[in-house]
Amino acid sequence: MSVIWGKWGAMCLFLLACAAPNRQPVDIVSPPVPEKIPLWELPPVDSPDRPVVPSNGLHRWELKNGLEVIFLEDHRLPFVELGVTIKVGAASESIEEAGLAVFTADLIEKGAGDLGALELSEKLETLGATFGVSASWDSSTVSTTGLARDFSTLIDVLGDLVLRPKLSSDEARRAREELLALLEREKDDPGSLASRAFLSALYNAHRYSAPLSGVSNSIKNFTEDNAREFHDRFFRPSNAIFFATGKIKPKVLREKIENVFGSWKGSVPEISADAILPPESKMLKIVIIDRPDLSQAQVRIGHQGIGRTDSRRLAASLMNLSFGGAGFSSRLMSRIRGREGLAYGVYSYFTLRRNPGPFVISTATRFSEVRRVVDLVLFEMERLKREPPSGQELASMKSLSTGRFSLRLETSSALLSSLVDLSVYSLPADSLDTFRDRVMKTTEGRVSSVAQSLLRPESLAIAIVGPAKAIRAQLSDLGAVEVFEP
Amino acid sequence: MQVGLLTGFQSSRETRLPVPFFAFLLVWIGFSVASIALEEHTEMDSTSVVDPLSQMTTTTLSNGLTVLTLPDSSTPVVSFQIWVQAGSVDETNFTGIAHLFEHMMFRGSKSLPPEAHSRLIEARGGRVNAFTSRDVTVYHAEVSRENLPLVIALESERLHNLDISKSSLASERQVVLEERRLRTEDSPTGRAFEALFAQVFQAHSYRHPTIGWRSDIENVEVEHCQEFFETFYAPNNLVISIAGDFDEEETLSLVQKYFAGLSRRRPPVRTPRKEPEQTGPRRAEVIFPVRSSLIAVGWSAPRAGHSDGPALDVASEILSGGRSSRLYRRLVYEEEIALSANGYYWELSQGGVFYAFVRVRPGASVVLTESVFFEEIEKISSLEVSEKELKKAKRNLEVALLKGHTTSHSLAQRMGSEVITFGRVRPLAERLQAVRAVTAEDVRRVAINYLAKTRSSTVNVIAPDLHSQILKSNPASNLQSPSQ
Repeated sequence: MSVIWGKWGAMCLFLLACAAPNRQPVDIVSPPVPEKIPLWELPPVDSPDRPVVPSNGLHRWELKNGLEVIFLEDHRLPFVELGVTIKVGAASESIEEAGLAVFTADLIEKGAGDLGALELSEKLETLGATFGVSASWDSSTVSTTGLARDFSTLIDVLGDLVLRPKLSSDEARRAREELLALLEREKDDPGSLASRAFLSALYNAHRYSAPLSGVSNSIKNFTEDNAREFHDRFFRPSNAIFFATGKIKPKVLREKIENVFGSWKGSVPEISADAILPPESKMLKIVIIDRPDLSQAQVRIGHQGIGRTDSRRLAASLMNLSFGGAGFSSRLMSRIRGREGLAYGVYSYFTLRRNPGPFVISTATRFSEVRRVVDLVLFEMERLKREPPSGQELASMKSLSTGRFSLRLETSSALLSSLVDLSVYSLPADSLDTFRDRVMKTTEGRVSSVAQSLLRPESLAIAIVGPAKAIRAQLSDLGAVEVFEP
Repeated sequence: MQVGLLTGFQSSRETRLPVPFFAFLLVWIGFSVASIALEEHTEMDSTSVVDPLSQMTTTTLSNGLTVLTLPDSSTPVVSFQIWVQAGSVDETNFTGIAHLFEHMMFRGSKSLPPEAHSRLIEARGGRVNAFTSRDVTVYHAEVSRENLPLVIALESERLHNLDISKSSLASERQVVLEERRLRTEDSPTGRAFEALFAQVFQAHSYRHPTIGWRSDIENVEVEHCQEFFETFYAPNNLVISIAGDFDEEETLSLVQKYFAGLSRRRPPVRTPRKEPEQTGPRRAEVIFPVRSSLIAVGWSAPRAGHSDGPALDVASEILSGGRSSRLYRRLVYEEEIALSANGYYWELSQGGVFYAFVRVRPGASVVLTESVFFEEIEKISSLEVSEKELKKAKRNLEVALLKGHTTSHSLAQRMGSEVITFGRVRPLAERLQAVRAVTAEDVRRVAINYLAKTRSSTVNVIAPDLHSQILKSNPASNLQSPSQ
């Protein structure tokens, strides 16, 4: 205890001693008596378990055509957010057609109903509204946000985008060239270069080896016909979720959805996402992308992780928080940034997709220190297996995990997208409400056994972007090093 | 280690006695509830909006510390922020010291080891971070209400007992240098902005990057940090902003208890250098291996709160707000020479910048893209914008003002930022009114006044081979680039 706090404590005792024992405090707004013990030395105060999803605001139903509806009523601000999520994304593609989902999304955005690309933007932006179409690994989403009073126009436009995209050949050329140009531009970003090289080293010829938006060899062949085919096949009500939040009356929404999406038809055959992942190498695989001009090396280290619905995911997440997922509370940050000043940040994470996405450790350090950083990461990974988080460390990670969870879900929009995500992966609809309890019940033994089964320091892929000559010399005794141009 | 931080603690100790809190100098600022119709003559029902900040309370402690509170139980989170009126603009000997010092605030105090501050909050499920800008330094934490007292105690601890050691400074310096490599030295965008600000501002200290020039970061010592702390981290130079789920009365007495012992100090003397009139276009080239060249253009613009601000916002919205904006339509969609093109009016406390940022398509001509860009700027100065464009731009600015009230963090942020910049919260109604009052003539006037080619600064980030090509094809172009 510091001198200052000690004095404070003494003073408080003095004041208490002077007060007559049975006199009511004169002044009800006087501050509480300062603690003898600083608050941080007391055990954490338990936060009560608050409901995550407001019980009166959430409405769910299904249309006759199978379209699932999730609506989170929220009248606090005069806005609405509406959208449709299709439960298919880039993971459905073969490696030869990598990027088709993103290409289709881009093309849908460029015209629907009677409106071309510029007219569509003009129409919504005149209302102060926004819209967008995007694809991720396991879903594609069309969404729009705007003022509550424009709800009717917004849902009509949403209907056009989902049901009647133009998919014109002129716009297909534009979308294709834009995607190719963006792919080139990404190479200006050392971090993107590193991530790409890492995924490519880790997944060989699997779809996960290529970026979400594809590679130039696949993109250059896309036409409006490919997008049309993708849209016709997957944009079907039985495969879709309509979501909405904001200042809308449930009755109004109900009628309008029926109106716009009621006649939407069709279903989607069972899709077998390519579940077979390439075997991992049994030794370190090191690739360097040569950028002699850089002062800092981007470093990615990792192996295949776990799938979104894997029953080990909560234990894996707690393990990962203590490893490198919890900012200053994690071991990697504490060591690499805090103690050694080697990086501005170092993070580890599982990328959760239907099939096991990568488990990645990501950092950047001055290129002369690459070996030191790689050694520290390997050391901490071995230590994580040997000494997985337990006791106070695990307790902190649990509380960090549940706390972050509620911070992340502070807005209706974030809550809604989590509910949609659960539906995409067919996870229990009450998962958000049970999250806290499930985290708290995860045992040390469970975390430890998950660490043993998931961490494979012998099979790591390491990708580094920076001056190859200097970096290669540092790593050559670790394993075979391959060097590529960007 | 006794670092002489806030040595006034002893003498002001008695002000921390638990005497009635409200007996201290209190300033209440009440805002009338703003009821706002989004547009006159609208037949819509529910578009009137109450400014959430109209419920905010301002309390001033006797040592000059301003405390802003806005309880809102509809959210499960409370955001606690300390706004320090000290940014890179205030640096004298060492650029980057405001930011480096912000890092040092996490490196331990008399009672707590380095990073314990963050870990204690994170271990209770909270989020904690800080940022430094040209004008301010902000420390923020978001926690559940049960943990707010801890955050207050921790903030108080580091303000009273911060401990900067030679070794912690040495290792944090390396962290900041890595941050500089990441965000500036190895980043084409970072390079462009560093060069742009050094062009737009020749005299004013806004020309220096907030992260600092490398050699300054390398040379800062412990005593410089202490001096910076003593100059700027006085209670009368701080604003505490709290929004979200918390008990107002309880929290105010905690703030009183934990912060009243800080001693008021003489406010730092600020004599901002006036930027001399710019008499001709300025240019800089950054040669860096990029595939997508960058064009960054900036003009000196008025400071935050100036009456021309709303018209400049409208101009930037017309130029680059969304996919139906002029720059997007022309450069990205029609000519297909850019990947993106954006312009903003960036208001700062002692000046402003109107800047535009264009990512040139790989393979497209930088020279052509730049000239098309300036054609559009010229157009907005010479022809009045259409009524339709004006209306659209204003609508989007109105919506942007209304949004951004969805999290405790964003509420506390608006409170802190407004009070530290303007000494008050400008009510939403006032701001919406200012946007609505902008006319097409206003837009043309500010474009003429501020966005002239002769007053522009242009930075190109281009690859080495492209640079030599441009030189070969037009050696005269180099004559436009006097060294500044």
